[in-house]
Formats: sequence, structure tokens, C-alpha cells
Amino acid sequence: MTAQPLTAKDYKSDTKPIWCPGCGDYSVLAAVTKALAELQLPKEKVAVVSGIGCSSRIPAYVAAYGFHGVHGRALAVASGVKLARPDLTVWAFGGDGDGLSIGGNHFLHSCRRNVDMTYVLMDNQVYGMTKGQASPTTEPDWCESKLTPKGPQVTPIRPLHLALACGANFVARGFSGDPNGLAKMIVEASKHPGFSFVQVLSPCVTFRAEQRNWKQLVHESEDAEEVASDVPEAMRRLAADDGFATGILYAGDRPVYQPMHPAVTELAAIERRFAS
Amino acid sequence: MSGDEVGSFLAHAIALEDEAAERYSDLADTMDTHNNGEVAALFRQMAEFSRRHADSVRERAVGVEVPERKPWELMWSEPEGPETAPVERTHYLMTPYHCLQLALHNERRGHAYYADQAAKAGDADVRRMAEEMAAEEAEHVRLLEEWVKTIPEPEPDWDQDLDPPTTGD
Repeated sequence: MTAQPLTAKDYKSDTKPIWCPGCGDYSVLAAVTKALAELQLPKEKVAVVSGIGCSSRIPAYVAAYGFHGVHGRALAVASGVKLARPDLTVWAFGGDGDGLSIGGNHFLHSCRRNVDMTYVLMDNQVYGMTKGQASPTTEPDWCESKLTPKGPQVTPIRPLHLALACGANFVARGFSGDPNGLAKMIVEASKHPGFSFVQVLSPCVTFRAEQRNWKQLVHESEDAEEVASDVPEAMRRLAADDGFATGILYAGDRPVYQPMHPAVTELAAIERRFAS
Repeated sequence: MSGDEVGSFLAHAIALEDEAAERYSDLADTMDTHNNGEVAALFRQMAEFSRRHADSVRERAVGVEVPERKPWELMWSEPEGPETAPVERTHYLMTPYHCLQLALHNERRGHAYYADQAAKAGDADVRRMAEEMAAEEAEHVRLLEEWVKTIPEPEPDWDQDLDPPTTGD
């Protein structure tokens, strides 16, 4: 008997999301399960890793191996998983605070190191789980938090610029309001060798209610049909970026970091060392 | 009945209902999680309606070669199918009135989609099916409009929560 192909539904876990109704992260989850269905990856061959934050709850909702890690350390954990188990498909998830503030340093070096994995940064320009503080991608004049009553007054980080400058091998921006298009983008990112970075504009309808209007602002990049394969060209395109253009910006061919040294210490020996 | 156009039309019709059912089902779970059982039950009912419609389209498709379409290959005028409820139009305090208005919004879009398909179909079978489905969607719209009339409109401050779960810092 031939096995039935897995559907998106098969990749949903039995744990129901607790995100606020209206949150963009629901659609990112839908895109992730659709992407997994397209790739037909066996569940035991996928590791979904995250840090801390609303978006970082996603491993609980995907029927695969999951690791809900330490704040900002999703990429460190994901890199370790991939280096130890190159046979796994490793996807890391997190938000703008987790990935660009607390985990900012790991982000830089993950781009540079180019381990073969995919990082999906669900960007809502706010710390949602801690109830609405400015994040590294918040606009300088956003005054809704009591911690920054006059706005953070700092230039926001531009995730695509940063990823490109630091050497990410695949750089793209998607939108939660287009889960089907996002699913395709995640498939492309996952298939591309090396460190693939996907920024997803994912509205926080609770602390940034105005982001419900992102659907009107998001548009496909003018260059969406022709992906840049060299960094200067991708940078030139970013110079005109309004922050809402979606598509694959860059796909490079840098060598993937994957040391070929096999594991020499058996798990039991490591466990004995920790036990003593 | 044969031809690529028929198969493609039916692939879209099935996806339209499947995606709508999946979204309604997700929204029902969300509302359950947020302790809004009344709206959760309504969303579950909508999911069931969409599943039945999907079954009925599948029955029409017996004997037709329906092509596999990846989600991003479906030719919708918007990023998602016309009857897929937009996530951003939900709220944890939404009432049955809002839920039915959302369903009505989706059914109207469904009707517009099939009317458009009927208008531009090159194949006579596709045109006939699209017209039939547009008529079915028009009936769903009518039923929902009647249903909405039986539900009291919410107060203007329906989304004000005196004990909000997400107070700002």
C-alpha cells in the first residue's frame, strides 16, 4: 500500500495556539505547515527551534522535533543541532526582540557562519509577550509605551540590510497576510544551501493595532521576478526599500559551514560526565 | 465532461472550501482558547458548512481529472481564497454578530468569485458549474443575511475590556 502524502494538517500538533485572535503569527504557522507539506519531510527529520516571545511558541504547534530555547539563543541552539545532526532540516523562529536585541549577536554570526538552516524572524516591531515595549525594529517616534513616552528615538534595525551585510546566503521578506506566498518562500529558503533568512511582517493586533492596516501597505517588490545573486546589487535594491516590499531579495552561493568531523564521544559518556 | 479548464476550475472550488473550513476550524480553536465559547461554536458550524460544500464539489468532480495545485499556484484575486476568513478581522471579544458578519463577508466574496468565473469562462461546462455555484453562494448570502437579522447588534464599546488580559506596561 502506498503511503498517503502528508498534508499541512498533519504537521500541526495537538497543542492549540494561545496567540491573540487576529495575530499574524497564526498565518505564519499556516505557512510553515504548508511548506512542510510541500517538502514532504518526515516529522522526525525536522527540528523547529525558537527563543522566547510570542512567536517563539511556534515549536509547540508544529508536529516535529521542537526546542523552545533561551531568550535570544534560538540560532545558537539551531546551529548546534544542525552541526551535530546534518541529516535534519533545521528551522529557527523568533521575533524582532528575541532575534535582533537579545539575540542580535547570534544573528550576526549565524549570517556570517552560514550553517545550512532557515531562520524565520516574525517581525511585529514590538515586544508583545512583555506587553508592548519598543523593540529594535520599532519606529523612533512610536510613543505608546510608558517606557518610551517620547518614542525610542533610535534608528530601527533593518533586518534585511543587516543579514545581507553579515553574509546570509538567502535573504527574503514575506507577509503573514499572504500565507500561501510565505509558504513558497519558506520552501525556497529551506532548499537553498546555507543560512537562509526570512523576515516576516507579522502584525501584533494587541499592542500595535494600527498594523492591521499592513495589508494595504505591503506590496510585491518590483524586482521580485529577478533575485539578486550578488550583494552590491541586493544592497542597491534595498536602498529604495520602504520596509513593505516582499519577495526574495538575494540568493548567494557561499560555501556552507559544516565541519565533517564525526562525533567521537558517545552520548552515554557525556551523560556520565554530567552525572559525576 | 473533460478538459484542463474544468479540472482547474474544480481544483480551485475544492481548495476554496477546504481552506475556508480549515480557517474556520482554527478560529474556533482560537476562540475556545480565549474563552469565547459562543463564537467558537459558530465558527465550528461554519467550518462544518464549508466541509460539506467541499464534499459536494468533490462529488461533482467524480470522473474529472482534477490537477494538484500547490497553495501558491491557486489563482485568487487576493492572497487567500475568497471564502477564507481574514485572521486580522477577529478579536477575542467578538460577538456572534461579528462572526456572522465575517461569514457574510466571505460568502459575498465567494459569490463574486464564481460570478466572475462564469463571466469569463471559455468552456461551457465551466460556465454552467460557475453559474450554479454562484447561485448557491447567493443563497448562502441570503440565509446569512436572514440569520444576522436575528442577532442583536453589539454595543459600540463591545471591545472595551475592564479587565484586559493584555494591559500595557
